[in-house]
Amino acid sequence: MYVHLSWYLALSAILFTVGVVGVIIKRNIISMFMCIELMLNAVNLTFVAFSSSFRDVTGQLFVFIVMTVAAAEAAVGLGIIIAIFRNRESLDVDEANILRL
Amino acid sequence: MLSAILLQTTNVPKTVGGPITAYWPVMIFFVFAVIFPVLPIVLGRFLRPSIYGKGKMRPYECGIDPVTEAHDRFTVRYYIVAMLFLIFDVETIFLLPWAVIYMGNDFSFTKFALLEMFIFIGILIVGYYYAWRKGALEWA
Amino acid sequence: MNLSLALQIQNVSPDVNLLLILPELIVCTAGVIVMMVDAFARPRQRWMTGGLALVGLVAAMAASFWMWSGWAGPREAFHGMIVLDELRLGFTFIALLVSALTVLVSMVWVEGENLPAGEFHSLLLFATSGMMLMASGGDLVIIFLGLEILSIATYVMAGFRRTDLRSNESSLKYFILGSFSSAFLLYGIALVYGATATRTGLAGTTNIAEIANRLDVSLYPPLLFAGAAMMLVGFGFKIATAPFHVWTPDVYEGAPTPVTAFMAAGPKAAGFASFLRVFVFGFPFVATVASVQGQIHAAWLGALVVLAIITMTIGNVGAIVQNNVKRMLAYSSIAHAGYALVGFVAAGATGDPVFKSEALSSVAFYMLTYAVMNLGAFAVVTLIARSGDRRTDFEDYNGIGFQSPGLAFTLSLFMLSLLGLPLTAGFMGKIMVFRAALNAGYYSLVVIAVLNTAISAYYYLRLIIVMFFRERTTSWSAPRVPASVIVVLIITVLGVFYLGLFPNRVLDAFKTRPPAVMATR
Repeated sequence: MYVHLSWYLALSAILFTVGVVGVIIKRNIISMFMCIELMLNAVNLTFVAFSSSFRDVTGQLFVFIVMTVAAAEAAVGLGIIIAIFRNRESLDVDEANILRL
Repeated sequence: MLSAILLQTTNVPKTVGGPITAYWPVMIFFVFAVIFPVLPIVLGRFLRPSIYGKGKMRPYECGIDPVTEAHDRFTVRYYIVAMLFLIFDVETIFLLPWAVIYMGNDFSFTKFALLEMFIFIGILIVGYYYAWRKGALEWA
Repeated sequence: MNLSLALQIQNVSPDVNLLLILPELIVCTAGVIVMMVDAFARPRQRWMTGGLALVGLVAAMAASFWMWSGWAGPREAFHGMIVLDELRLGFTFIALLVSALTVLVSMVWVEGENLPAGEFHSLLLFATSGMMLMASGGDLVIIFLGLEILSIATYVMAGFRRTDLRSNESSLKYFILGSFSSAFLLYGIALVYGATATRTGLAGTTNIAEIANRLDVSLYPPLLFAGAAMMLVGFGFKIATAPFHVWTPDVYEGAPTPVTAFMAAGPKAAGFASFLRVFVFGFPFVATVASVQGQIHAAWLGALVVLAIITMTIGNVGAIVQNNVKRMLAYSSIAHAGYALVGFVAAGATGDPVFKSEALSSVAFYMLTYAVMNLGAFAVVTLIARSGDRRTDFEDYNGIGFQSPGLAFTLSLFMLSLLGLPLTAGFMGKIMVFRAALNAGYYSLVVIAVLNTAISAYYYLRLIIVMFFRERTTSWSAPRVPASVIVVLIITVLGVFYLGLFPNRVLDAFKTRPPAVMATR
């Protein structure tokens, strides 16, 4: 009995959707940020599943790059969040309303 | 249904990793991990006498009562050091493919990879010096 | 285990050709040097960083010109990860030009605002190297990496005035929506990687030329559609096409003005470069409509036609109601992305290499003209906004026309060029794009684009009218124009006329030469 590729793809699609929905409905910057990380990791799961299924390394190398990029994004994102918090003492996006749509 | 879409053609192995039976140890471990904390709690409920007193409801029944909120604010320095750690920690991931490829037979490529990796580490050191000079590593 | 086995089995040869990435290397090295100078020089010597950045950019430009004229070597390296063609060189030139002009605009501004000059210039150089990688990537990995190098540097630059809440918010919005769209793009890449495995047992690929070969023998065609759609959404966010444009006005308004100038011209052009490469070369035109390739091609082309129409219309209609010049220019930048998409559609709709190369060069030319006039306009807006970006409303421009005639006339010239008045660069850019679309048979699309140009006359002319025919109620002191900004204005004014009067040399340079047609198919 083997695990079929489609289960991995379905799982990563679900995780990605959870991330997308989270970014859209969450109002706290840190939560939105975590949802974006969830999306990136769902993509990583897709890559690893395909890569393992094909017995090919390209996907796994892609995962390395995505992880590094995610770390760099996390560092910059946290920096931005700290800058905002210093100026405003709140992390609710609804209060980020100086610039209107 | 999803697999029906994906299974239109079959020629390449569509499975990932080993057989699902390889996960048995993990599942057994999981079962034990659930039983281990739950069992004593359930057993204890039936075996112990339950008598509540004022002293018993105080935190931990020892020490002094907490005087501040648990949500204390930390200095922002912690975040900066944490961010620097995050970056430098994750960059080492690129040493892994290099270490793997280093075993190859192709000598000229090995030399090239060695040189590349020193350049990579050199760039990291430049970044480290930059953070140092800018005072990101100083406490107080 | 898996990894080491696979790498040992394949005969590993890295196919290194450092000369082929020479411009990128020069810009990256210059960025690192600027960073080090900033860290080790005394505070009073930090003005040097701007000059060093300029030297690096000019050297990279020289390297890319050398590649343009005298390159005889192989036209791809690193196993097709880096390609060399006129599309790449054209967009590399745009990236370097935008970056150099931004350095000139920001040199004095950075000092005046008491911002760290070295950090700004090194970030700008890293962003530029990201843009160049996006143009030169022949593989989805490189395009993704370039995109992220660019985006991460730009997030920081948007929030560069740390104590200003508007700048913070702009940076935050850009960051959230930028990484959101990157995740979409990445998911698209993952699905395409999985879907391009073949029935004959080949593993998936991320090489764009290889993807095009595999479309009809794909193992999972449905995933191919999903992946292409996801990438379309990701790129759509990056170049601010209409349903995905909502971040643009806020981010452009809140970011420091020189950064806005950079963001409107540079990342947009780089986004177009890789968008074009992925879709025009990765999912190319095919005559047999019934095949998988034909269906995918028809699907993305249809989606792009709709996107182009919505983008132009929303951009122009949105710009009409704005009272802030930076927001107006932000909506105008959305509209211009729509016009460029018209050329994109033309490039995608044909299989004929000559027409395709003409359409591709028209899009590159359009982005070049937009970059020139946009940077010129934003240079003037930076001067008028003063420190802290306080004066960016239309009222702040009331009646300055006869008090600072030099600035007012140059700004008017850029507005007319953005509108597309004959003899200016904007006119020639639009003509080229529309001609390509007409050649491809998209008459109604061109009609809609021309109608939109008519709408846009309202808000471009409004600024000119405000400057020359409104009474000024508050006092006005003409801003001091630094020498570096004068250089920018001279370059952009000359550029507007040169591109408007003699476009042929530039267009020919952007066109694919016959050998490259064979190479890129």
